[in-house]
Amino acid sequence: MTPARGDLGLVRTRRLVEASVDIRFRLAPGDRPLVAAGESVVPGSPIAERLRDARLAEAELTPSVYVRPGARTSEGELLFEWRGRWRVAAGDVTEPVETPVAGIVREVTPGSAIVISASGRAMAGIVALGGPTRGRLHIMAGTDAELRTGSLDVGLAGTILVVGSRVDAETLTRARAMGVRGIIVGGLASKERRDFQASERRQRAALHRLAPFAVLVLEGAMRRPLAGAVVTMLRALAGREVAVVTDPPALLFDAGELSLPTPPPDLVRIRGGPLAGRTGTWSGLLGSRRFAGGVHLEAAAVRFDDGRTLAVPLGDLERFV
Amino acid sequence: MTSEPHAFLAVDLGAATTSVAALGRVAGAWRLLGSLAVPGGGDPDVAVEVLVRRLRAADPNLAERLGMGGIGRLDPDLVPRLVVRSHRPPRLAIVAGSQRTASALTETAGRSGWRTTSASVETTDPLAMTALLLDPDVDAIMTGASDPPRADERSALRELATLVAAVAARRPDIPVLLAGGMAEGLSVFGDIAARPGEVLLAPASVAGTGGHDGPLAELLLELALPPDDSRRAVGPATQALADVLERRIETVVLGHDASVRVFAAPSAGGVAGHARVAVVPSAAVAPDEPDDSHVDGVIVWTTVSADRHRLRDQLRELRIAPWSDAAGDGAALRMAAARAALVRLAAHTDGRDAKLAPDLVLASSGVWSAVPAPAVTLALVDVLRRPGASQYALDHARLLAPIGAIPDADERRAVLRDIADDLLAPLGSVVTPAGLRAGRSAGRLVVHAGGTSTELDLVPGGLELVDLAPGETAVAEFQFRDTVRLGARGRHFAVDVGGGLAGLLVDLRDVPLRLPDRADRRRDLLAAWQGALWAGANT
Repeated sequence: MTPARGDLGLVRTRRLVEASVDIRFRLAPGDRPLVAAGESVVPGSPIAERLRDARLAEAELTPSVYVRPGARTSEGELLFEWRGRWRVAAGDVTEPVETPVAGIVREVTPGSAIVISASGRAMAGIVALGGPTRGRLHIMAGTDAELRTGSLDVGLAGTILVVGSRVDAETLTRARAMGVRGIIVGGLASKERRDFQASERRQRAALHRLAPFAVLVLEGAMRRPLAGAVVTMLRALAGREVAVVTDPPALLFDAGELSLPTPPPDLVRIRGGPLAGRTGTWSGLLGSRRFAGGVHLEAAAVRFDDGRTLAVPLGDLERFV
Repeated sequence: MTSEPHAFLAVDLGAATTSVAALGRVAGAWRLLGSLAVPGGGDPDVAVEVLVRRLRAADPNLAERLGMGGIGRLDPDLVPRLVVRSHRPPRLAIVAGSQRTASALTETAGRSGWRTTSASVETTDPLAMTALLLDPDVDAIMTGASDPPRADERSALRELATLVAAVAARRPDIPVLLAGGMAEGLSVFGDIAARPGEVLLAPASVAGTGGHDGPLAELLLELALPPDDSRRAVGPATQALADVLERRIETVVLGHDASVRVFAAPSAGGVAGHARVAVVPSAAVAPDEPDDSHVDGVIVWTTVSADRHRLRDQLRELRIAPWSDAAGDGAALRMAAARAALVRLAAHTDGRDAKLAPDLVLASSGVWSAVPAPAVTLALVDVLRRPGASQYALDHARLLAPIGAIPDADERRAVLRDIADDLLAPLGSVVTPAGLRAGRSAGRLVVHAGGTSTELDLVPGGLELVDLAPGETAVAEFQFRDTVRLGARGRHFAVDVGGGLAGLLVDLRDVPLRLPDRADRRRDLLAAWQGALWAGANT
């Protein structure tokens, strides 16, 4: 290995595909798990019943080995015993929680979480809003495009859309209303994120809810084109059933036979700064260089397709593995 | 270090920056040979290779003699490593019988390396409290009461203990602390020896009783951060440095996930000194979720124009990729975010120690690694406003935390005795008089250095810079028109000052600092102050 190639190890790596991932479904006291550790689940299986508007109640129970914190009785989920009576999380209306992925239930803690070891592979995101969902992947826009409300129609119902570099809250709520199951986007601004989350809260409070909908953000809060390696992989998955989960934020897919492209090892992507979004080839470590604002940063030489070689701060680079 | 190596590597694996320093024995003493700071997330072994390669290029004979001459990986027996890393602060759920106790426990835990969520019986019903404790993100539970429990707590204490014991039974792996009077509820936890997670009895919080959190804070810090955590190691290192230099030292570390403030006085009279350490996750430079108060805090200090939404986006980006976009406006954002974090840190550590100007203020953080050293001084004195005179220094090679991780205190002091001069990049001296009256002139300053004297008019509201190179010393003689506070009250002062990269900085601005309300005027003023110490800040 040449010294220049070895120094490439200083560049932060971003894993394009994770081999396996444990996904978590949060539970609150009163929610009823429908699965047990070690069980297998398939996409669409109900794994829990979520209790709406849980309330605190009391119950008088005969002591037995089954009467313990976290156990369930006809009154609800037992919390703790106090002065001969049990405090209970009770409620009348429940709604199902379904897993969007196949896997094996790893852990069930009533009132806390269900953890499933998902089968298949995952592509990590920065954040996912909404709830776990599943749909057919559809590439809607190019890497640097922005999806507008007018581009949506009911023909996209049931799909998870890849929408490019940016999307606004109005488009997200419209997509959800049209039956789109999810959105994958490069950047989501804080204002859009806040507006969408407020809309989600209103939606959750409604009696007649829409199907689960998730927004998976791959890059950050600023407008930034999707990385070429990511787009290549998403294109390879287009038309297949995929899932978006929120904890951890990720796109999951089960495509064992699919040969996913591997980026060249010396390909680097510029994540920040004036050249953000461009890709080039690593040409070696330069040492400390002065950049705008009078700051001194460790820099690398990056060769671009147009033949130019420029000094770029190491921190602005990333590479996919 | 059990053997006697001739060189070692100090590695600080921060969340945003990885720092590697090589130290070796030269002429019978430990010396800093070189250091390198690179963005976090890369391979630290490659950073070591690059540093060693540069050392070989600079002095091949020395590198060879210290065991760093060969090609390939270094022999860990010849060149051992002291490695510290920044761990993400864990989350502590706190429940108490009264809101007053919950607040005191939250205050103490929030200064002891924990991210906190809390509730009290007065404000939260048992269902919501159970949900809070069962949150899968919770790493430990603390429940507490005053010691002895007050009347308003006593009635709720038993039921609260029962509730926590029920949660502890459902999540047997997580540790539970019973603080203060809550120890009375231990019996409801049953056989605690059979439980995988510990159930610990802890002292009550003494927050708000003199600025020292006491033994509870020490216990919480030990539970929160492992011994190799860089922030935990800063405490012992500062104490060792205070002993070696025989100076009162304040160390400030601004971190991606938490910030640290340490006060240490030299050991005296055969009694070992004990540094007071505060690790404050809510003073992180890049908070998880920048809320309105965070955004407002950064807006106050920003020198570039940005609306609230855009600034929030930029803070989110800083959280996601702290190593990226560090030039241009990104540098200005970092300095504003660092000052805002320092404000939060100061607010959480505003005890008795913080009111006295220490002999030396030491800054150590990856956030300073790219900016000119004089700008660091200004960032610190913008926020840490107190009358007095102090020297300022920068731990430029991020050695402090790795040295603090040396388990033996004597060995730690021995290394620091050798490398103190290499560790401390002198930023200069800062003199801050308080109580100046507005007007054209507050008095005169004469700086006597090397047989020459420099005379300056002291104009209230501004910064006066006097060139004083690192290593130089001088006597600064102040003659004020009116009585001011500068340690003591008076009109005439003679202060011994040391030089540095920023020279002598006489800060005649208000204590505390008052900034214009209008954003454009505030930005211009901040940029003007910064421009005097940061060449090219606006290019």
